[in-house]
Amino acid sequence: MPIIALVGSPNVGKSVTFGRLTGQYAAVSNYPGTTVEVARGRARLGDLTFEVVDTPGMYSLLPITEEERVARSILISERLAVVLHVVDAKNLERMLPFTLQLLEAGLPVVLNLNLMDEAERLGIKLDLEALERRLGTPVVGTTATSGRGLEELRRRLYERGSGQPCPD
Amino acid sequence: MSVALASPAQTEGPDYGSEVEAAINRLSEHLQAEYGLAPRAVALLLLQGDAEILDKVRRLDPAGAENVATIVHQIQSTSPEPLSYTVALSRQAAAAGILASCVTYPARQRRDFGELLGRLAIHPLTGYPLMLAVLYFGLYKFVGQFGAGTLVGLLEKDLFGTVINPWLVRLVDAYVPWPALQALLVGEYGIITLALTYAIALILPIVGTFFLVFSLIEDSGYLPRLALLVDRACKAIGLNGRAVIPLVLGFGCDTMATVVTRVLETKRERVIATLLMALAIPCSAQLGVVLGLLSFNPAALAIWGGVVGATFALVGFLAAHALPGEKPSFYMELPPLRWPQPRNVLLKTYARMEWYFLEVLPVFVVASVLIWVGQLTGVFDLLVGALQPLMRLLGLPQQAAVVFLFGFFRRDYGAAGLYELAQNGALNGAQLVVAAVTLTLFLPCIAQFSVMAKERGLKTALAIAAFIFPFSFAVGFAVKVALAALGVSL
Repeated sequence: MPIIALVGSPNVGKSVTFGRLTGQYAAVSNYPGTTVEVARGRARLGDLTFEVVDTPGMYSLLPITEEERVARSILISERLAVVLHVVDAKNLERMLPFTLQLLEAGLPVVLNLNLMDEAERLGIKLDLEALERRLGTPVVGTTATSGRGLEELRRRLYERGSGQPCPD
Repeated sequence: MSVALASPAQTEGPDYGSEVEAAINRLSEHLQAEYGLAPRAVALLLLQGDAEILDKVRRLDPAGAENVATIVHQIQSTSPEPLSYTVALSRQAAAAGILASCVTYPARQRRDFGELLGRLAIHPLTGYPLMLAVLYFGLYKFVGQFGAGTLVGLLEKDLFGTVINPWLVRLVDAYVPWPALQALLVGEYGIITLALTYAIALILPIVGTFFLVFSLIEDSGYLPRLALLVDRACKAIGLNGRAVIPLVLGFGCDTMATVVTRVLETKRERVIATLLMALAIPCSAQLGVVLGLLSFNPAALAIWGGVVGATFALVGFLAAHALPGEKPSFYMELPPLRWPQPRNVLLKTYARMEWYFLEVLPVFVVASVLIWVGQLTGVFDLLVGALQPLMRLLGLPQQAAVVFLFGFFRRDYGAAGLYELAQNGALNGAQLVVAAVTLTLFLPCIAQFSVMAKERGLKTALAIAAFIFPFSFAVGFAVKVALAALGVSL
């Protein structure tokens, strides 16, 4: 079964997204470091079933804490169809260096700008298409808590994970 | 193993400068094995001093490993600043370059109410009053008085005490002919009358109200601000700030929080946090019961809080100085304050209550069965008898021994027993304080002990237990003596 791994710094909505994709509950909070165990679930995307892995928060591929080590070992040792980098749309300067590092590592990245509602409320304007062109990897904007952008995210995950256009 | 590699040509990757780029190229030549990451990324990690990756290179590419180490050492020693810094800066510059054409920020950052409140929450002058207000309304009023008082009263006294249990007792008496079996089901420590009643009518409302408040606090983003606020106070006693995170979580459930100590950076911090949690952080069930018991006696509550707090500070201080090792600096993401989402709060509260209930109920039932077996064989009386000298030392009545015996199974079970005892008027104010203090500091529940053994190793877990057992009784004894000497009557 192809695997989708959710990575990103703490408190950007990985666990909410995990819940949205798999329909499983992972402890969610507005509190960094809630995910210390690795949660695994299944997501049905189009005509394919993916395994989804929710990793503990990590800031870069260079681990400092035990949990970051756990997250990195998943990236390194599992055969991943997609690495979904979930980031806070409000803080792209701090988040994008890790995206670049993931791309540098040759991982099949989909960049997910989450918390789009908060970014908009702050008046931040994002050109997702331009970002996608310059990164050379799919970019999707979501508000995972309300479900906004989730359909698009599923479609892009399917395409990145299977290498085929999404049937529906 | 193969990883689907994105073609790097598409990506505008960071340029790390000619020297680093040259080193990357030289390193890549020696990296023949499959690392799960592109050679360029592996080379960069090596340059940043990643020991784990270097070990991997030694294992997978033994032929090139010596050269790799030499190249890394060479450039590290000639570089004016740490390479991880150079690399991070280059990445930030590349990110900024990309974002310049994709993101527009508003001319002026809006300062909204949430941001102001967030600032007030971490400023010492306003933060501590805010913390006290949250504790007063959230814990004392809602969990202590509403949960442990009103709800428990309704469930335990009115529903179970006068309706359900009498009915079940009559049912069992009528249809179960053997007195021994009757005792197992509906006796003083029976499965129905004790285990089920405690779990449903006493623990569940307390834990439920606590988890509700906790979820609200957690989702609003207040918790990390609280950690930051308390961090300053913790530094004053020589403790590291990051340890505040699991400690604050420990008020929910110490067992859960012991798992969360993994977020701490060094073994030293993990051990200190585990010890403090096992000793001086009451879990929600304990806290609720103690708040419920003492809420009508503010002086007693203050003494309990003071003694437990002082124990926490003293043991934390001593442990931080006794255990060798460096103290890493505290760094934590501060999320914005957000309105908690009712759905998520309820879902989380429910998930935690379910987890807790399923964890608690079997243990309570097993405890009932063990006590039953113990009573049949006389072992129970023997143990209660053996605890008598300790009870006399603490100035507590005989029945209190049963409470401490329960405490071996679970702290909340013991706390529930204490509640029962106090309800029956068996304890005066001073005895209540002594019992509450001792029980709060007392050995962690079996679940927490097993998690401690799993996370820290059996030796450390046993050492912590061996320290806590006599220590909790010693503090209880000290409180009793002090109260008597000062002539305090509560």
